[in-house]
Amino acid sequence: MMSDQQIITGCAKHDRKAQQVLYDKYSRFLLGVCMRYATDKAEAEDILQDSFLKIYFNIKDFSGTGSFIGWLRKVAVNTAITHYHKNLKFRYYVEIEEFTSAETGVTSFEEDFFTSDELFKVLNELPAGYRMVFNLYAVEGYKHKEIAEMLSIDTNTSKSQYSRAKAVIREKLNKLRKLKSNYSDRE
Amino acid sequence: MKEKKEDKVLRDIFRQKLGNAEVVPSPSVRTDLLHRLERREFMHFNPARFNIWYACGIIAAGVAAAIILFSNPEKKDKISPDYSPVGTGKIIATDNQSLKLTEPEDEGKLADDFHGTKKQTNNRSEISSEIFHDNKTAKDNTEQNKGIPERTEAAGSLDNDRLIPEVIAEKNKLRNVKEVECLISASVSEGCIPLKVKFINKALGYDSCRWTFGDGGYSEERNPEWIFDVEGEYEVSLKLFGPDRIEKVYAYVINVYPKPVARFEIIPEDAILPDDEISFNNFSTGAVKFRWYFGDSNTSELFAPRHHYSKFWNYSVSLVAYSEQGCTDTLIISDAFTGSGYYIEFPNAFIPNPEGPSNGYYSSKTDESAHVFHPAFSGVSEYQLRIFSKRGVLIFESNDINIGWDGYYKGQISEQGVYIWKVRGKFINREPFTKMGDVILLKK
Repeated sequence: MMSDQQIITGCAKHDRKAQQVLYDKYSRFLLGVCMRYATDKAEAEDILQDSFLKIYFNIKDFSGTGSFIGWLRKVAVNTAITHYHKNLKFRYYVEIEEFTSAETGVTSFEEDFFTSDELFKVLNELPAGYRMVFNLYAVEGYKHKEIAEMLSIDTNTSKSQYSRAKAVIREKLNKLRKLKSNYSDRE
Repeated sequence: MKEKKEDKVLRDIFRQKLGNAEVVPSPSVRTDLLHRLERREFMHFNPARFNIWYACGIIAAGVAAAIILFSNPEKKDKISPDYSPVGTGKIIATDNQSLKLTEPEDEGKLADDFHGTKKQTNNRSEISSEIFHDNKTAKDNTEQNKGIPERTEAAGSLDNDRLIPEVIAEKNKLRNVKEVECLISASVSEGCIPLKVKFINKALGYDSCRWTFGDGGYSEERNPEWIFDVEGEYEVSLKLFGPDRIEKVYAYVINVYPKPVARFEIIPEDAILPDDEISFNNFSTGAVKFRWYFGDSNTSELFAPRHHYSKFWNYSVSLVAYSEQGCTDTLIISDAFTGSGYYIEFPNAFIPNPEGPSNGYYSSKTDESAHVFHPAFSGVSEYQLRIFSKRGVLIFESNDINIGWDGYYKGQISEQGVYIWKVRGKFINREPFTKMGDVILLKK
């Protein structure tokens, strides 16, 4: 088993073996990242491929300071953002202007109630703009100001999209929970 | 605060569950990625991956560079054709004595360059005579060219040393003067009438010029444009006049081809679409090939085609006639089927069948005895016929052109006398018609 450092030096020399080891070691993790930013697995795999190409060709730029896995994740997130911008041209969707959740305030969720597959699905079903902001803010932990720069939107847009995303997610999770508890009740 | 806490829960769920979630990619992603990687890496040169492809690329580049390097000197030797009119073009007239001195005014010019103005006159006469002796005819281009460089060389060395590079350059140009094909050129050398040709005079160093176009026209412009409107082969010539009315003549041949004439006629003249099959009679002349556009996106290349239209429309029919030389003429008959042949006419009398009502059915064959009042018509699409008595009572109405009035009203044969009819409707070209008249009902 190669260490990260060996992989990095190998990839920098375009060593095919090192590239494959890198893929085998991190592709599952990076696809997990991509999945959060895509509408389905096929799109996520597209982003994954592009991310890996970027990683292979830019690995010499990785300074070695900071975690390698953090750098990989960053590349994947940036690639996802590029994809989002590309698709923006072709996708036309009308934003839901006022979203009022019938069940605001009722919710607090138990952490282990939902499987990761279910959570992925919730994210995949979000409108692309909500999904980007929610991921970047809630999961990646960027500030709204940073997100606004990355997506070239207004900071307030980022904030409002985040709150709408939360409302939509909450409603989806509530529905899901009802479905699940009904199902387990019957059992 | 509550909102904040909820938010945190929501965020934590996603962060913990999905922050480091792993998803297994499909196997095809790996192979696709490898292919894309290979392609990309191939485009990025990397000495570590030097292989047969790079080797081929370098060899190809080397060969290309070699070809370019070795072919360049020849190109440099070629001179631009607009330098001077020395001994080029087709010289077609030799009756003028001065023609034998091919380039006096140009030589004079050269001499001006190399000698001071004081020496000019003296010098020119010297050269002229020299050439006159050397070259008896203008055809002797080679000798003539030899003569000039010799002189210029001598002149250059005599005068200004600083001019020497220029002198050598001029010399080189003169040496290659033979390569100049023709001093006059034309935008086209053949074509169909009316043929517009732009002539270019590349000669330098003359006082005036005169183009004659072979059809009686002439121009004194440097680069004239001429339109040939009659077919034929024209010898266009350019005369250049030097300071002493010395002239040189260059010729160029322009072929002007006749245009065919596209003519046709549509039979029948008052065709009813879509019922009639249309014949196209072709009266074109000077053409060997035809192309018909019937206007309904059908075409034909027959000489005189027949065509059946599937529905009524004011089609535009066009015929393109091609001559042997590829000249074309087009005739378009737009709105070829305007429907001028559509009509509706009513008789002024009829004799109902005394044997009983017929419900108005008729056909022009069976109704020879005029038992039913009905129109003669063509191209009618909408129709309404009403018949009134003289007092204005509506006694018959039909919306079907195939049903006329049999002369009966409420099962009884009507009185002999005058009845008023009124018809309105539309022809199939959407043109409406309204007509009114009277008809005499006769009894046997």
